Amino acid sequence: MTSVPKVLDVACGTKRFGAAEVLSDVSFQVDKGETVCVLGPSGSGKSTLLRCINWLERPDAGQIYLNGKPVGAMASGAVMHDRELSKLRTHIGMVFQHFALWPHLTVLQNITEAPIQVQKRPKAEAVEEALALLAKVGLADKRDAFPARLSGGQKQRVGIARALAVRPDVLLFDEPTSALDPELVGEVLVVMRELAREGMTMVVVPHEMGFARDAATRVIFLDRGRVVETAPPDRFFAQPQTERSRQFLQRYAGSLNGANGRSTRE
Amino acid sequence: MMRDFAIVWGERSLLLSGLANTTVLSVLSATCALLLGVMLTPALMSRWRAIALPARVFVDGMRCVPFLLFAYIVYYGLPSLGLRLDNWSSGLAALIIYNTAYMAEILRGAWQAQPREPIEAGIAFGFPEAKLFRRIILPPLLLTAGPVLGNQMIQIIKDSAFLTIIALPELTHAASSIQSRHYVPFAAFITAVLLYWGLCLIVEAGVSAVGRLAEARR
Amino acid sequence: MSRGDIVAMLQGAVVTVTLSFIGILIGLPLGLGLAILRWANTPLLARVVAVYVSMLRATPLVTLLLLLFFALPNVGVPIGPISAAVLALVMNTSAFNCEVWRASLDAFPKDQYEAAQAVGMRAGQRFRRIVLPQIAHASLPGLVNEMSLLIKVTPVLAVVGVVDITRAAVRIGAETFEPLPPFLLAVALYVPIVFALVSLQRFIERRQAEAAA
Repeated sequence: MTSVPKVLDVACGTKRFGAAEVLSDVSFQVDKGETVCVLGPSGSGKSTLLRCINWLERPDAGQIYLNGKPVGAMASGAVMHDRELSKLRTHIGMVFQHFALWPHLTVLQNITEAPIQVQKRPKAEAVEEALALLAKVGLADKRDAFPARLSGGQKQRVGIARALAVRPDVLLFDEPTSALDPELVGEVLVVMRELAREGMTMVVVPHEMGFARDAATRVIFLDRGRVVETAPPDRFFAQPQTERSRQFLQRYAGSLNGANGRSTRE
Repeated sequence: MMRDFAIVWGERSLLLSGLANTTVLSVLSATCALLLGVMLTPALMSRWRAIALPARVFVDGMRCVPFLLFAYIVYYGLPSLGLRLDNWSSGLAALIIYNTAYMAEILRGAWQAQPREPIEAGIAFGFPEAKLFRRIILPPLLLTAGPVLGNQMIQIIKDSAFLTIIALPELTHAASSIQSRHYVPFAAFITAVLLYWGLCLIVEAGVSAVGRLAEARR
Repeated sequence: MSRGDIVAMLQGAVVTVTLSFIGILIGLPLGLGLAILRWANTPLLARVVAVYVSMLRATPLVTLLLLLFFALPNVGVPIGPISAAVLALVMNTSAFNCEVWRASLDAFPKDQYEAAQAVGMRAGQRFRRIVLPQIAHASLPGLVNEMSLLIKVTPVLAVVGVVDITRAAVRIGAETFEPLPPFLLAVALYVPIVFALVSLQRFIERRQAEAAA
């Protein structure tokens, strides 16, 4: 057993919306370099789980730890100030389903906004790094374009670059390709696979099962707010241990043969 | 302070007659303005410049003139045209003329937002023009324009207060009179404000009701 | 009307424009402040602001003006015609501006705000750098519309003795027994100002519609 704290430690996370308990006692840990995929039928609470990690939603019970430090609320129950919470959030990157780019800023400005404004890094350094990230996601020529002029796939790649620019310890992906036209999905998955390969710590709620099968180091299966099964992907997809997992895989077997990240740049 | 309100309560008949005047003026002018506006809107959208241009000048002109000044001009100007009107009539006339322009513009906007197909269907089904207008065109038009017309109604209620300047005995004038005779400015005017607020809440309730009617038919 | 009369009216016009300008200048940020209070949804304060705005929007400016001018001295706050006029204008226009700002705030896409949160921006930064630029852009037509409406109600300031265009016109009319010419001149002075604002509003709306297409 190592004494180095896990990158991410979610303990007994519980979330209620009104009378419905959307997350019940969800616990898991993420090691550095892992790519964890959270799967489950719609309504199982996957997105809510992700949004609880960086406290965009407030968990009703449980603790979130980032590198050993509590996020959002102390063990005692005392809730963090916006200031403290914001500082922690710079260590958690997030990629949104509908991209959430800031339309009044150019692509380059979207990426440098947080490094400059939040992390107080010098502008020249931030711009240099932003350009490198843009090149990495294949959009170097779009630096001065406004988001409105980009396709969905391009917007999401900018979204990924923006999340990477703050040098986070862990990257959260909330169904990053679900709002994309099918032919644009590939270009985003290529970038995500590359990140996984490079050792980025990622927690992904994928829209494409293929990504989970090929790129995940571990799969967490969520059903009606509870963790039903946790396993490496080859074991999960080949030999699901529970009835719920089996039912789920049967229904989604089709998408395993669908778009699974083949590069569009061929 | 309570004594002040008691004094205002004592003068409630004056206040209520002022409120009645405000209400009657507003409702009357709004209705007439709407009717005249309905007739002006087609002129506004006409393809013939000779008709559309004067209509446009009138509407834009009223949009740029402060109502208070317009009321003054109607009050002082009409006599030189040979019309001797008392302050009530000239106030009403000013409200009607001014708001006809606004109503026409509102209806024009609502008209251009209407889908064409249902109307074409009416024509295809053989509806004659007058019936087409009354039963196919007008109802959805009014439902769409509901909120904006409601806002204009509130504007009319507020504009009517300007007529206190020409000594028309509406609500603000009544409050002013009570104030100057009994030295109870706060009580008198706050009561007036609350009464205006009440009128507006009624109009807004009406607009909500129309909105619900519209929603059910969307 | 003599030359002196015309000069008096122009001086009145200067007073009108100055007071309008002050009203607009204070009313814009004040309206934004009120809208933020409602948007932030602090339990009691949001309710109070909602009622305050609703009442102010329903109150005719002349009634508000008379209320302030006569009632404030009565409760121990001495106030002159100009201060009462400015106060009434500011209260009135801030309530309308609040609704314009609020419409933009309500329409603001939530996920952009969350992206700003997710990337670690603090509340003040989120508002200043992400929300404000965009709602300012979206609110512009409504705010310019409100400016034109404000200018159109300024003739009422004469009621409490502010020597603006209207009062000058009334005085001249009373002296010359020809009330019409000064009022027509007053209208001639007002119309271009209002027309300029209305044209500006239409221009902004057209530009924004084209950009969105």
